[in-house]
Amino acid sequence: MAATAPCGSGAEETGSEAAAGKPGGTSFQRKGPRAGGLDRGGSRLVSIAGTRPSVRNGQLLVSTGLPALDQLLGGGLAVGTVLLIEEDKYDIYSPLLFKYFLAEGIISGHTLLVASAKEDPADILQELPAPLLDNHCKKEFDEDSCNDKTPESNIEMKIAWRYQLLPKMQAGPVSSSRFGHYYDVSKRIPQELIEASKWYGFFLPEKLSSSLPAEPCYLTHGYLKLLQFIQSIIYEDGFDGTNPQKKQKNILRIGIQNLGSPLWGDDICCTENCDNNHNLTKFLYVLRGLLRNSLSACIITVPSHLIQNKAVIARVANLSDTVVGLESFMGSEKETNPLYKDYHGLIHIRKIPRLNNLTGDISDVKDLAFKLKRKLFTIEAYQNIKAKLTCENIIDNF
Amino acid sequence: KRRPSPSAFSRAVCPPVALPDSVQWEGRSLLKALIKNAALRGDQVHVLGCEVSEEEFREGFEPDVNSRLVYHDLFKDPLNWSKTGEALPGGPLGALRALCGRTQPGPVTIALDSLSWLLFHLPCTTLCQLLHALSHQNACPDGSSPVERVHVLGLIHEELHGPGPVGALSSLAQAEVTLSGMLDQTSAHIVNRRLRQRPTQQTQWFSILPDFSLHLHRVPAREPRPCPPTTQVDPTAHLTFNLHLSKKEKEAKDSLTLPFQFSSEKQQALLRPGPGQSTSQIFYEPDAYDDLDQEDPDDDLDI
Repeated sequence: MAATAPCGSGAEETGSEAAAGKPGGTSFQRKGPRAGGLDRGGSRLVSIAGTRPSVRNGQLLVSTGLPALDQLLGGGLAVGTVLLIEEDKYDIYSPLLFKYFLAEGIISGHTLLVASAKEDPADILQELPAPLLDNHCKKEFDEDSCNDKTPESNIEMKIAWRYQLLPKMQAGPVSSSRFGHYYDVSKRIPQELIEASKWYGFFLPEKLSSSLPAEPCYLTHGYLKLLQFIQSIIYEDGFDGTNPQKKQKNILRIGIQNLGSPLWGDDICCTENCDNNHNLTKFLYVLRGLLRNSLSACIITVPSHLIQNKAVIARVANLSDTVVGLESFMGSEKETNPLYKDYHGLIHIRKIPRLNNLTGDISDVKDLAFKLKRKLFTIEAYQNIKAKLTCENIIDNF
Repeated sequence: KRRPSPSAFSRAVCPPVALPDSVQWEGRSLLKALIKNAALRGDQVHVLGCEVSEEEFREGFEPDVNSRLVYHDLFKDPLNWSKTGEALPGGPLGALRALCGRTQPGPVTIALDSLSWLLFHLPCTTLCQLLHALSHQNACPDGSSPVERVHVLGLIHEELHGPGPVGALSSLAQAEVTLSGMLDQTSAHIVNRRLRQRPTQQTQWFSILPDFSLHLHRVPAREPRPCPPTTQVDPTAHLTFNLHLSKKEKEAKDSLTLPFQFSSEKQQALLRPGPGQSTSQIFYEPDAYDDLDQEDPDDDLDI
């Protein structure tokens, strides 16, 4: 079970206790966030830096680093869950989301665990974007949006003016936010912030230094080592509550890059029917067990466009909690399509988890596109321009 | 001249056999042209040859290029049957690992001829990991020696493999060159993905001279018909009613104030009815049959 907000509220009362004879007022009791998780008893409110309880169900959430994405996921990423990013074809934008997640961890003071088979984790950390401080934020955003204003966007719609009232994604900084920060992609994070943070790296070529023959194992060697590494960090640093000496609770942010690519030793990208088809799914299953028992959140990027077996993609998505797919227009025929000329790609929210809940927090907007501006990665609901053009034309000419 | 970037792969593409005299654009000559370019630049070139013999590979190169070429021969005796000690120990795996563990200083170009052969003899994941290690071996743990660039060139015959291995290898490559062409002109479609930047695509027409120098063409002599220009999606086409306005109609339309548009004139008119303007009044002429009840039932209401 994912951790709920550790907050003591006394006895757990059911909501509608229609007690007859209660003097005055209403018989409905206001429920606080459910007591549970790791902190039972006590009436003090324990809050971990960089987290907040969800307004829907009290689930403890962390920010993904992109406030627009947080909004689409229902407030943030729940602690104890996995966020799966399906990479775009040339792997340009998914590393950005990966880095935003890690940068948010550093700013919030969380512990990081970075695993990769391609790049050294120390190099990944060097490339994190720099955070934007509140007083500089507004200036940066105005500058960015001014540069991008095309003459067409200034034409206001005369008749279909209600389209302009559609809610825009939150692009500007929220004042006094300790949850969700803004980053400048064109600048690197200051070195002192990295040094002040606590992080663990897992670089596969170093860990597999000895060339072992392929022994029949229930998991790929690389995956096994990674799981053991994660488990040891969780245990030693007390993220699963086993170490009672821990004074200040903290969140462990795990980032795993390019999971499933051949560099991890997994051949689901190479063949369609291989003997070890279940390596990745077993890994995700064990990982989810580790995460549910600890105060951690994980982001994984998977090159799903390379996976040959569609059933594996579906299983991988089922085993993850939140699934976001990126589709970039680069190299596809959509690049020249006038509908998409303002954007760099589409973002699909494929799955939202239902944690301790019967319904998920699905946003109303389904058509989402992203654009990488010079300093920002923005997600917008792209209005279906063709429909707008047709309707405007028809209405205007009558 | 085009400089090969680290980990460039080239492929030979066979067109669908439609013409009886189908031409295969072979990639080996392009590979040799790139090797010559690298050798003349001063790199030391290691070639892992699997498909052709050493004599055939070295044929056509000038002596100074040949002197910088180190040929690792896997063609003559891939399974080490002759046991004379000439064959490379460990087979293809050992040969690649030996290349990874190279400690000589200086820029190096490694050419793999061909990756298809290696894919048939090694598992794809092992090959990917070795290629990754090959191209990243210049990251020295100590910062004393300067970082030397390692270029890896690989030739792959696309039609021999399914989309899986080719896709996996392409994702590792920093530049991908696909050969195709029209009749006697060869073109290379190059996708260049630099780290952390948007990849660029371009098509370059070229030809290779007998001494393996690369000659780039500006535009081929007989340019193939460009693909039809993508027209703007016109939603007003193919409709059964007329959507187009004449100039006069357009003017009339623009000058029309819409009823729900709250212009400033309308606002003024509502706020301050001018002296010349009369507010609308209702004139009631009772009929003979009308029942005029003087008593208004609404008078009791205290609003």
